[in-house]
Amino acid sequence: MTPLDEVLSDIVAAVDAAFLFSPSASLYEDFAAAETDYDVVVVGPENAVDAPNFVELPLDFGDVTAQVRFGLEGAIDQELVAEGDTIACVTSVFEDGPDTVMRVQATEFSHSGVYDLFVNSRAEPAVIRNVFEVAIELGKKGQKGKPVGALFVVGDAGKVMNKSRPLSYNPFEKSHVHVGDPIVNVMLKEFSRLDGAFVISDSGKIVSAYRYLEPSAAGVDIPKGLGARHMAAGAITRDTNAVAIVLSESDGMVRAFKAGELVLELDPEEY
Amino acid sequence: MVDWSEVVRGLFTREAAFVVSVAILFVGLVLSYLLWRWVRSLLENAGIDEAVEGTPFERTARGFGTSTIGLLAFISAVAFYIGTVVVALNVAQLLNPNVFWSHFTGYLPRLFIAAVAIIVGMLVGDKAKLYVSERLRSIKVPEVELIPEIVRYSIFYTAALIALAQIGVATAALLVLLAAYAFGLVLLSGLAFKDLLAASAAGVYLLLTEPYTIGDEVRIDDKRGIVQEIDMFVTHIEADGEEYIVPNQEVFRTGVVRVRD
Repeated sequence: MTPLDEVLSDIVAAVDAAFLFSPSASLYEDFAAAETDYDVVVVGPENAVDAPNFVELPLDFGDVTAQVRFGLEGAIDQELVAEGDTIACVTSVFEDGPDTVMRVQATEFSHSGVYDLFVNSRAEPAVIRNVFEVAIELGKKGQKGKPVGALFVVGDAGKVMNKSRPLSYNPFEKSHVHVGDPIVNVMLKEFSRLDGAFVISDSGKIVSAYRYLEPSAAGVDIPKGLGARHMAAGAITRDTNAVAIVLSESDGMVRAFKAGELVLELDPEEY
Repeated sequence: MVDWSEVVRGLFTREAAFVVSVAILFVGLVLSYLLWRWVRSLLENAGIDEAVEGTPFERTARGFGTSTIGLLAFISAVAFYIGTVVVALNVAQLLNPNVFWSHFTGYLPRLFIAAVAIIVGMLVGDKAKLYVSERLRSIKVPEVELIPEIVRYSIFYTAALIALAQIGVATAALLVLLAAYAFGLVLLSGLAFKDLLAASAAGVYLLLTEPYTIGDEVRIDDKRGIVQEIDMFVTHIEADGEEYIVPNQEVFRTGVVRVRD
C-alpha cells in the first residue's frame, strides 16, 4: 500500500454515509450494487439516477463548502443521517467527474438554516431559487453598468402587503407575471432603479414593486454595518412568514433572511 | 379504358414481348433498390430513427436484424417491385390481363397503406404511452399506470381499424365500438371536469378584472381573511391560523365582500 492509498483509506475509514454529488449513472450503480455498511445519499440538482436517498440542490452554490453544507443539512432534515455521523463526500471541484473525496462530521457545520430556507418556507423552492437567480444576475451586471440594490420579499404576500404601503403606482397591477418567466428578468432589472421592495407571492406571482415596508424592527439582530435595506428585510421576515432576498448596493452581495435572521450569503461574482 | 393488352399485342411479337418483360423485371429491380435507398435516407434525414428510439416496435424490429426505417423502406420497395412484376407478366401475356389490371393493381396500394398504417400506429402508440407515463411519473399511484396503457391501445385500435378498412374488411361494428368508446370518454371527462371547468371560467374573469387582489381583506361565504393567492381554479384566503382554499365558482355563486376599514 502506497502512502497515497493510505491517506485515501484513512479519509473514508468507518464512515456512516457516502454522499455522491451529481454522480454519473455508472458510478451510482457501482455504489448501489455493492454491499456496504454505510448509506449512499445522492445530492444534486435532479435525481437523474432515481436514488431512494436524495437531497435536491436548488441552486448551484458555486463553492464546494456551500454545497456540502446544504447536502448535510438536507440529509439531517430528511433523517437520512443523524447528527454526529461521519460522512464521506465524493464531489468535483473542477469540471468533469468526481475528483475530490472529503470527510466531514455532521456536527462540524453549525445549523445555518439554508436547507430550511428553500424547503420549509411558505413559497415554493423553485420560486425562491428563481428570485435568487434574478438577484444574482442583477448583482453581476447591475443596472446599465452601475451597481444596484434590490429587496425581494417572497411568500406570505397578503400579510406583507398589509404591513407595507405603496410609494407610487404599482407597475405590476393587473399584470400576471411570475418570476422565472424570461421577460421578468428584464422588467425587474428596469424596475430595480425604483426605491422600495418587490413583493412576490407563494406561487411566484410578482404582486407589487415600489413597496415601503413598515414592520416593527424591534428585536431584529442583523450583523452591524448592513444598511436600511437589510434591516427592513430582516424585520419583515420576523413579522411575517416571508423570506427576504437582498442585493446589497454597497458590497454587491446577495443575502437571504428568514425569521429575522441572516441565513445565506452569496457573492454574485462567483457565478 | 384503353385495353392495354391490345396495345402490347399490337406493338410486339410474342418473342419480343418476352424479352421486353425480362428487361422490365430487371429495370424494376434496379429502380426498387434505388427506391429502397431513397426512402431510407429520406426517413433518416427526417430524424425518424431518433424519434422511434426505445419504442417496443423498434426493439422487436432490431431483434429481427432490421429497424423501423429498414422495414418501411423494404415494404415500399417490395410494393414497387410487385408492381413491376405485374407489368412484366402482362407484357409477356402470361396471365389473363383484365383480371389483373382491375383487381390486383387496385389492391396493391391499399395493402401498402394498410401495412404503413399498422407500423405508424404501433410506433405512435408506443411513443404516446412513453410520453404520457413520463408526464405522470411524479404521481406514484399504481392505478395511474393504467392511463398510458389505455392511450396506447386506443391508438393501436384506431390504426388497426384504418388498416382493416383499407383492405376492405367490414369494419362497421368496430367503428360503432370506437364511437361508443369516444363518446363515453368525452361524457365521463365532461362529468369529471365539470367543477374544474366552472372554476377556471370564473378564474379567468377574476384574473382579468381583479375585483380583489393579494393583500385585500375579503369575506366569501363566511370565510373572512386576507387574500394570499389567486389562480385559475382557487383563491387562497388566510385568517389567523387557517387558510381557506375557495374554488373560484364559489366566489361567483355567493359573491365577495371586500372589507374596508
